[in-house]
Amino acid sequence: MSSCDPVTLEIIRGAARAAQAEMEALLERTAMSAFIREKKDFYTALFDADGAMAVGSDLPIFGDIVGPVAERFPIETMREGDLYWYNDCYGSRGAVSHSNDQVFLAPAFHDGKRVGFVMGWAHFSDIGGLRPGSISPDATDHFQEGIIIPPSRLMRDGEMNEDLLRTFWRNSRFPTQSQGDTRALMAAVRLGEKRLSEIAGRFGPDVLADAFRQLLDRTEAIVRAKLAAIFPVGTTRFADTIDTDGHGNGPFTLRLALTRSADDRFTFDATETDDQAPGPVNLLMHPDVPGMALGLYVLQGTTGQVLNAGAPRAIDAVHLREGSLLAPRAPAPLGLRGVTMMRLLAALHGLVAVAQGGQAPAAHSAYVVIALRGMAGGKRFLLSDGIGVGYGARPFADGTDAVYFVAQENYPAEFMELTYPVRLRAYGINCDSGGAGRWRGGCGVVREFEVLADTAMLAVRIDSVVNPPWGVSGGMNGGSGGATIGGRPIAPLSDGNMLKKGDVFRIETGGGGGWGHPFDRPASDVLADVAGGFVSIEAAARDYGVVIRDGAIDAAETEANRATRPASGLFHRREYRDAVA
Amino acid sequence: MPSRDLLVAVDIGGTFTDVTLQDAATGRAWTAKTPSTPRDPSEGFIAGVTQALAEAGRDAAEVARVLHGTTVATNMILEGRTAPTALITTRGFRHVLEIGRADLPRRDNLWAWVKPKRPVPPGLVFEAAGRIAADGSELEALDETAVRDAARAAKAAGVAAIAVCFLHAFANPAHERRALAILAEEVPDLARTASVDVLPVVREYERSMAAVLNAAVMPAISGYIARLEARLDAAGVAAPLLLMKSNGGVAGAAAIRRAPAQTALSGPAAGVVGARAVCAAAGVADLITVDIGGTSADICLIAQGEIGLTQHGRVGPWPLPLPMVDMVTIGAGGGSIARVGTDGTLTVGPQSAGADPGPACYGRGGTEATVTDAHLVLGHLPDRLLGGRMVLDRAKARIAVQAVADALLLPIEDAARGILAIADNNMVGAIRVVSVERGHDPRDFTLVPFGGAGPLHGCALAELLGITRVLVPPSPGVLCAQGLLAADLKAEFSRTVAEALDGADRTRLEATFAALETEAADWFAQEAVAQADRSTRRVALMRYEEQGHELAIPWPADGDLAVLGADFAAAHRALYGFDLPDVAVEIVTLRVEAAGALPTPASSPPLGGAAEGAITGHQTIRLRDGAVEAPIIDRVRLGPEATFAGPAIVTQLDATTLVAPGWQARMDASGALLLTRSA
Repeated sequence: MSSCDPVTLEIIRGAARAAQAEMEALLERTAMSAFIREKKDFYTALFDADGAMAVGSDLPIFGDIVGPVAERFPIETMREGDLYWYNDCYGSRGAVSHSNDQVFLAPAFHDGKRVGFVMGWAHFSDIGGLRPGSISPDATDHFQEGIIIPPSRLMRDGEMNEDLLRTFWRNSRFPTQSQGDTRALMAAVRLGEKRLSEIAGRFGPDVLADAFRQLLDRTEAIVRAKLAAIFPVGTTRFADTIDTDGHGNGPFTLRLALTRSADDRFTFDATETDDQAPGPVNLLMHPDVPGMALGLYVLQGTTGQVLNAGAPRAIDAVHLREGSLLAPRAPAPLGLRGVTMMRLLAALHGLVAVAQGGQAPAAHSAYVVIALRGMAGGKRFLLSDGIGVGYGARPFADGTDAVYFVAQENYPAEFMELTYPVRLRAYGINCDSGGAGRWRGGCGVVREFEVLADTAMLAVRIDSVVNPPWGVSGGMNGGSGGATIGGRPIAPLSDGNMLKKGDVFRIETGGGGGWGHPFDRPASDVLADVAGGFVSIEAAARDYGVVIRDGAIDAAETEANRATRPASGLFHRREYRDAVA
Repeated sequence: MPSRDLLVAVDIGGTFTDVTLQDAATGRAWTAKTPSTPRDPSEGFIAGVTQALAEAGRDAAEVARVLHGTTVATNMILEGRTAPTALITTRGFRHVLEIGRADLPRRDNLWAWVKPKRPVPPGLVFEAAGRIAADGSELEALDETAVRDAARAAKAAGVAAIAVCFLHAFANPAHERRALAILAEEVPDLARTASVDVLPVVREYERSMAAVLNAAVMPAISGYIARLEARLDAAGVAAPLLLMKSNGGVAGAAAIRRAPAQTALSGPAAGVVGARAVCAAAGVADLITVDIGGTSADICLIAQGEIGLTQHGRVGPWPLPLPMVDMVTIGAGGGSIARVGTDGTLTVGPQSAGADPGPACYGRGGTEATVTDAHLVLGHLPDRLLGGRMVLDRAKARIAVQAVADALLLPIEDAARGILAIADNNMVGAIRVVSVERGHDPRDFTLVPFGGAGPLHGCALAELLGITRVLVPPSPGVLCAQGLLAADLKAEFSRTVAEALDGADRTRLEATFAALETEAADWFAQEAVAQADRSTRRVALMRYEEQGHELAIPWPADGDLAVLGADFAAAHRALYGFDLPDVAVEIVTLRVEAAGALPTPASSPPLGGAAEGAITGHQTIRLRDGAVEAPIIDRVRLGPEATFAGPAIVTQLDATTLVAPGWQARMDASGALLLTRSA
């Protein structure tokens, strides 16, 4: 077995990144659904010959992608030119966690020897199911959430299973988009397969294998060392709550415990989490997810590291309870698992905050998605709009304003109005939604639509309304989101909201929590936030103690306000407290 | 009256201003190098022009035109030094810049990323009511009072420029035009930009950013051009001043003053045009250029002599979707620093030692190993550069590279080779992206390395890419000047039509093209292009319905839409590997590309003789399989058809070429050095 020297390792890492960039460029340029080409809800990864993800995307939600395929089609029986596909959540133990996400996977060979796998992953806008868009807050059963493709072999010896594709497209309300997206994803995976084979050819399969092994080992070692630096020996606990499942149930509490043993073994336990929900907020969490998510957090600031399957290896055991919100029993609905996923990611930071006395990011809001469907000009339309929220403030910087999630972009107003029967009346920062703090939480946004279709049905998905994102280290909680139609509030997690031409609906999204006491924020920064429409004059005085008159700071009054500081606590949700749930 | 045959090309770099003077009739050229004057670059500019004229013994009145590539706009944007600027936008969209595309970059860490500060703070964004619909109809009249109030408030806040971008202005610019008229009344002394005058295409964030950046660089560019013109005038040069645009063409100073953001890639574009020109002279039409400077490398692919344009360009963190030469820039150059992380990872760049302190071997205080130091350790560079004016410190280079080697537990030469391998690999990745995005196999191309550090990497990059031909331009270090001398006047005129190909109204499309051609004719007149020198080309930007990206397809000679459709499908297949016969095709935008030919100066052949007579010494090159003695060859002593084999080091004033073992070198009659190997 040839070993890979440090220089070649860096070269192989660079070549793998370049292969991903090529695949992503091809996908973006040729895909048809706006969800892929404008919002860019797609990812790629390269795996070693045994199926371990060696070079992933910087996304903390991946589980074991190859395993579910290998169970059905043993790896050693795979051949050059094979192409595999699935979206089966329960059939992949949560490697895919809602059915809209399609995974295409191809083994790559060099001189007849398997050298790795390549993945293309993308969210398809409609795959059948209860409502257009396939994801609905109304779902009560996973079978209402679109067609399920178990791990399948789509191509063998250059022969495509066209009937499987036709069946899939036949189940979509927008078959042309589905067809275009499928072709784009397949072409991207084929390109990646070619590149991985070339890399193997250039350095030799053994050197490539060793390079992948080193990348995995390196990530595991770094994540393990960083976790040991963060968490003391013993058990660290944190719990947080999501508001509702949209069916009148809730709140649901996630209870996390991370234990470091005296011999530095890490155990993640979420068994005390509440029972699964009747509505579709269940997160079928692959056991690799806590390691991936903590891995992404601790890899901040390391150059040359990649998030891969080495991160979950740093957690020695993961305990979940079947029948709970994080390990639901089939066929519990899963479509809105993003709500729970986003709360889970913040709760993992909560563990860090507890262990490190507040040196951790504050909580963020869960991203917001709306779906507007109906008929316009005799044609069926589906507008699925992912809307940005505020992320948590950090010990070194303000939280990010108006971001949805890694690498995902918004729909420009001009694009929307050219494409869908809507008019965007306003799109701006949701003032005062960022939690007050030395570092301000990111602000959410306001998006106000006028319906131009004769009739349409609206689904909204907004969490963190009753339980807004917590602030930390003296920072205050972020603001809540909400939705209204013609000024009347509607349930933040709901479907079946009927609209007619001329109706105006408004979505406000929540912000992130603040970090550090707001009185420590420089008054000039508060003034700039007021001038920029991020903070109101009232909130500047109330939360920050900064008095602004005629566009200028009243220094004397500000100083007087800031002289007395009420007691604060580690966390803040409506009031300072030691724990949020 | 003297004959006006002299062309002057001025390229301003960080350290030196290079001026090339060429007699268009004879091809004879003179060059001058003067120190750059960053505080007011026009000083170094005119000093260089004066010096070049003196050296050539020619009169200022003989100058026919002055060509200039400028990085003034680029540097201001990259360094955040643009003028205080306000934006007036549609009511309800005040945070259009702050929100952007919610674009947290794909390769950045969600928890670590900090949003870059916008060129206009939100407090200087003003809203005005008034609404144009997506189809261009007016839904609500423009609130002119709001525009007037915004202008006054912005002025009171001390801005130097105001940009206007209203929703759907690309479909109907009436509100933007009216707002500009109001600004002309209210704030005649401030720079003003309407988004449609910079970029009349869909997507409000990108268009707002283009308008804002244009307005924000306008005061400085305008002042800069005025100073250049005044100094030229004072020096007795009465010729027109033409500036290089990002699209690889030049435009008159007046046009650049209106749309200075068009110069954002001025310098790199000039290099690419120069590479195309020297390749054309050598009969090479398919090339990949790699311009390696101190901190970055610009990579561009030219197929069949055609420089591709992109509308997806960026400057720093900002989208700037103006037509730009389609190139990729990566942070790898001669000054890129090699570091070993605490985890044992070796990285090269993007941090750079730049020109100051520069690589360790420059002896100006740099201590970290750079790409240049690695070359020196391996014997790729002679000890003296710039004709002996610069001496490299081999011992300092070894100390710096040794530190890297120690951290990696490798012998020093392996560490040096590793540094180069990583830098080369970064460039190869970028070349592949450029190639695949345009549907080409790099092996079908000639690699053209230039820039001060380019020719050291040519053979290594070619080998990694499977390329068998490398062309080193006559003056690889000052190719921008060549590009300026070779450039034509260029402009694009486009309009969004958004029409399905099936059942498209050919009459309407023809009428749109005719209207665009009228705009082009007006532009030709403004730039005083003679009838015989004018050319235009029709292009359709097309896609499958519901795709987000278009392909540029040349309009068929007879306007046959069936041919157009077939051409599109073929291009999609070639580029992406598949087409979709059942899916409808859309024509999104029509574009007329206008070019005004400028006379190309004659070239002068190399004057030297056989390779044996050009050898000035020998040097040890350290290869992976051992050390070899390589001749040092003085390039100016090589004549046409002189040949030699690698390994060899070819020196000249502005660059050093490494001819690797296994490569054959031949001096082309055009002055280019051609390197070949068997596949």
